[in-house]
Amino acid sequence: MTRPITILVAALGGEGGGVLADWLIEAALHEGFPTQKTSIPGVSQRTGATTYYVEIYPEKDARPPVMALVPSPGSIDLMAASELVEAGRAMQNAFITPERTTLVASTHRIFATSEKMVPSDGRYDAQKILEAAPKVAQKAVLFDMSRMAQEAGTVINAVLFGAMAGSGALPLSRAACEAAIRGAGKGAEASLRGFAAGFEHAVSTLPGDRADHASPPLPPGERAGVRGNEQDTLTPTLSLPGRGSESDRIRREFPEPLHALLEQGVARLADYQDVAYADLYLDRMRGVLAVDREAGGEAGGWKLTQEAARLLALWMSYEDTIRVADLKTRASRFARVRKEAAAKDGQIVVVTDYLKPSANEIADILPPAWAARLRRNAGAGRAVKLRTSDVSGFLAMRLMAAMKPLRRRSARFIEEQALIERWLGAIKRLGFAVLDAELSLEIVLCAKLVRGYGETWRKSHAAFVKILDTLVENEQAVARGADALRVAIRKAREAALAYEEAKPSAATAKGKPVIWMKQG
Amino acid sequence: MERSFKAEVAKLRLGAGQTFTGEGILAVTKALLQSGVSYVGGYQGAPVSHLMDVLADARELLDELGVHFEACGNEAGAAAMLGASINYPLRGAATWKSVVGTNVASDALSNLSSAGVVGGALIVIGEDYGEGASIIQERSHSFAQKSQIWLLDPRPNLPSIVRFVEKGFELSEASNTPVMLELRIRACHVHGSFETKDNVAPRHSRRNPIQKPVFSLERIPLPPANYTQEKHKIDVRLPEALKFIQREQLNEFFPGDLRQIGIILQGGMYNTTIRALQQFGLADPYGESRIPLYVLNVTYPLVPEEITRFCSGKRAVLVVEEGQPAHIEEAINSILRRADINDPHVIGKDVLPMAGEYTGEVVLNGLAAFLGLTLPDGVDLKAVEAVRASVEQAKTRAAELLGAPVPTRPPGFCIGCPERPVFTALKLIEKELGGIHISSDIGCHTFSTLQPFNLGNTVLGYGLSLAAASAMGPNFGKRIITVMGDGGFWHQGLTTGVANAVFRNDDGVLVIMQNGYTSATGTQNIPSSPDLSAKEGSPIAIESTLRGLGVKWLERVPNYQVADVADALRRAMTTEQKGLKVIIADGEWRTRFGIDDDVCTGDRACIRLSGCPSLTIKDSPDPLRSEPVTTINSGCVGCGLCGEAAHAAALCPSFHRIEVIQNPTGWDRFMHGIRQGVIGALSGVGAASTPRSQPRNDRGVDAAPTREAR
Repeated sequence: MTRPITILVAALGGEGGGVLADWLIEAALHEGFPTQKTSIPGVSQRTGATTYYVEIYPEKDARPPVMALVPSPGSIDLMAASELVEAGRAMQNAFITPERTTLVASTHRIFATSEKMVPSDGRYDAQKILEAAPKVAQKAVLFDMSRMAQEAGTVINAVLFGAMAGSGALPLSRAACEAAIRGAGKGAEASLRGFAAGFEHAVSTLPGDRADHASPPLPPGERAGVRGNEQDTLTPTLSLPGRGSESDRIRREFPEPLHALLEQGVARLADYQDVAYADLYLDRMRGVLAVDREAGGEAGGWKLTQEAARLLALWMSYEDTIRVADLKTRASRFARVRKEAAAKDGQIVVVTDYLKPSANEIADILPPAWAARLRRNAGAGRAVKLRTSDVSGFLAMRLMAAMKPLRRRSARFIEEQALIERWLGAIKRLGFAVLDAELSLEIVLCAKLVRGYGETWRKSHAAFVKILDTLVENEQAVARGADALRVAIRKAREAALAYEEAKPSAATAKGKPVIWMKQG
Repeated sequence: MERSFKAEVAKLRLGAGQTFTGEGILAVTKALLQSGVSYVGGYQGAPVSHLMDVLADARELLDELGVHFEACGNEAGAAAMLGASINYPLRGAATWKSVVGTNVASDALSNLSSAGVVGGALIVIGEDYGEGASIIQERSHSFAQKSQIWLLDPRPNLPSIVRFVEKGFELSEASNTPVMLELRIRACHVHGSFETKDNVAPRHSRRNPIQKPVFSLERIPLPPANYTQEKHKIDVRLPEALKFIQREQLNEFFPGDLRQIGIILQGGMYNTTIRALQQFGLADPYGESRIPLYVLNVTYPLVPEEITRFCSGKRAVLVVEEGQPAHIEEAINSILRRADINDPHVIGKDVLPMAGEYTGEVVLNGLAAFLGLTLPDGVDLKAVEAVRASVEQAKTRAAELLGAPVPTRPPGFCIGCPERPVFTALKLIEKELGGIHISSDIGCHTFSTLQPFNLGNTVLGYGLSLAAASAMGPNFGKRIITVMGDGGFWHQGLTTGVANAVFRNDDGVLVIMQNGYTSATGTQNIPSSPDLSAKEGSPIAIESTLRGLGVKWLERVPNYQVADVADALRRAMTTEQKGLKVIIADGEWRTRFGIDDDVCTGDRACIRLSGCPSLTIKDSPDPLRSEPVTTINSGCVGCGLCGEAAHAAALCPSFHRIEVIQNPTGWDRFMHGIRQGVIGALSGVGAASTPRSQPRNDRGVDAAPTREAR
């Protein structure tokens, strides 16, 4: 006996999920099928996760059956998700079952606040959802509908609708679906383009065995939910004079797996200061490599050296006002801003930089003696709003950037180099003494703490020094043995990275969804 | 108004034999007009807002019929409005979000139900319970019971909902009692169709006003009338209601071959229960159930004769009653006991949860448990268990595959919301002054209690935040900051909060979010809305209202100037001046910001001060950085908060303001050329693309390809 086709659409507020549900209803009526739709719009208007539930009874002009107002786990024929984590949520709630559910979902990510507010990287591992999809669903159609919508110049709901129709799980003809879109009027043409694109893509992935729709791995751009990452500003500097000899050094003195990374580091530092500075970087890396070698790091693919190479390069190119001014006055930067602003040719883009250099940040670039005096009576920063796209503003910035040669004599440069040596010293000393690559790695990773600006920098920088004082360079702490020390350092580092606000609230800590998330 | 309801208004004009297709709550609206109401009032709130919105747009039609419509000041006002039906044969309806709206209305409701009505009085309540609800979870049933207001809970399909609007008025008049029509969230938003009738012009209205006043001491709640009114409820009105319910067969009996058991359910639970039966193969698509059903479209009062008739000869009945206390289940037990019927085992809250929404899964499990307990002949329990177990397995499997539960995504402030920057400023002040006790109110701004702000210690009700601070003030080491929306201000914050605080010379700080309408309920007008329609009269400014009340310390700050808002808050918190200090936050301004991803170091401090959906993260283009950088995505409407916040908090130099001169003049281009020359020369490698004059066919930054077909 015919039973209603059940369709659950999971979307985020403002993605046009309601419009999509209306299209479904219109298309069903166009086919002469009894249909019903429910939703909880209260939430959807406010960027939260929401769902739209539609039932279609695929019998022409049939006497209306009893259709449910709420989706029931294990009884969904078509699960559509406009974003990857929403597909994961549907899995969690058993709205996707191998017996009958076709899953149609976009693979792009829109990050939840709880993911975004975590310092460094709090993103949910969405790859897991991609891998689970073909296992829990009868059929899975997964692709980046957000990108496709942008390419078609429309909203994601149109592409999603097309993919749903193309998946074969809808009892609706393509004509009926397109008629529904036309009937809605506003923006119909763009929507139809998106629908067609989604439809054809879905058809192309079906029919076929599971392998056909096995989850594709997320390319880096997609993992971040943003595509078209800008050209990296470091590229021009790769042609700096002297780079050749640095490359030779890298080849001579370091094992092959490290070359690419060290090249990056050298390029960055030669650009940041000069070739001699890049040489210093390599000298420092040799020391770390020695420790790694002693501890048999080759087996582990030189993990210790890899991490150190990355973090040391970042640390040695710490962001002082000179660096910031330099980065903000590059041609590639202006090009990027135009792109971000989606400015067309013929339009002029005015860029105003919001700066608030505190007395400390000014002191950083002064010689130690002056710096000390300024820091003693350091007040709050003075707000500067600089029109970098104007000649005057640009020149002011450029002037600051031009102080690069003086940096070597600046207070912060001297302090940072001292701290770097202290850190490297500890890595070597403990590294050779204990020959515990894991322990050395923990110390290396502490360099994550020396980053950021103003208050953030001050806090984590202090935390870093404290770890050196109380653990790494502390007799008793070291005496307690490598294992205890390793754990202690990791704990201290993670505590320093976790901000008060980033501590999850009781509800989320238990992974317990809040009430309006129960079904969504 | 957020959107126009022209299309919906047209549907209200449909006549006899035509077909209405649309939302449940709009079907109710049409049914009101078919029932010849003289007046309709209410207070907006999901899920009944659309009833108000559509009628507000339907002035013309209402004038033709002579129907008076009023968006009331609050639910108490709407309930009091029904007083028009106490002495006169006027049919009237009021609507609001329940249970909160019913709470506000309760004073008037008690007096209304005690006095009784001669004209039909119908209260349409949107039962905001379960998924999607944004209020405390209680059931309105208890209210109906304690005040003897009859409660309708019809099966959630349009023909049934419409029928019960019409029958509701008849029942009200037949028993001189106000009637509540309870509609759950999804029933209000269910999309379906029904056959319409012609609208009926009310007997009495503006077109045909009542000429003679009716005075009747029996209608006044003073001794001895108040005592006789209570007795009258029980001795006269209740029996009349029971007679009507049976005569009109408002409750429904559905037969089934498994006669030894049965299910008694609220009308609103019908579709969910049928779906569960279908999943177990015990009902067909048309709802023909193998288990006999007794559907309570009237959940109060219950009809003892019907219940005893349904239960006699059964081994067990399942009661599907959503919410607690278990009023219906308890009543059924006592009815059977009084009738000395002891054989059927009444099973309800022992297999179904006492508290919480009855979702598809909950009812599925409850029904399975019921069948497991009663073992009816002719039911394949193995099959039932298999269905139930498969759901469990699916969940376990998903949990294993996913590892960690996916992040939750609660609702938050919309992109560009003018309320968000105020909380950014509050966050800064909180850091600066140390812990602050914040008394929050009802509205979108309640989202400030969620991540990333986590600001707001208590919520006591709509417009009650200032009153809720009155005992905290004297007992807390610092001044209390109270947040209130302009919606809550007019709902009852003005009297209960401000007037009293000024009168008592409280020493608190009140922040009023002035955005000109009640945003959480769908942008309805309030007395201070700038764009009031001619009918609504001229706007009442909150500022002058406060001055009129004697508020001495009053500042108005533009929301988006985070630093200015923070300064105002600091002044309010630290000034020597005693008495209530009010900050009105309003105004909007828009600029777009960018983030230099080679300058960003990814500490996320900016996100923790904003939570804007458009302020997000992406992989760093820098191969040396393994962690993502912060970025502004294409959804940005350019409210400017992120940049202002970073600036006010002196976070980092990554933010820059971007202005696009859409149609530059010749001079603009000339100057631009010079700048590009200089900048190009000095910034080395290929200067920023020098613009050439082009046909100006673009739509500029804010028209990102998104939100075209919305």
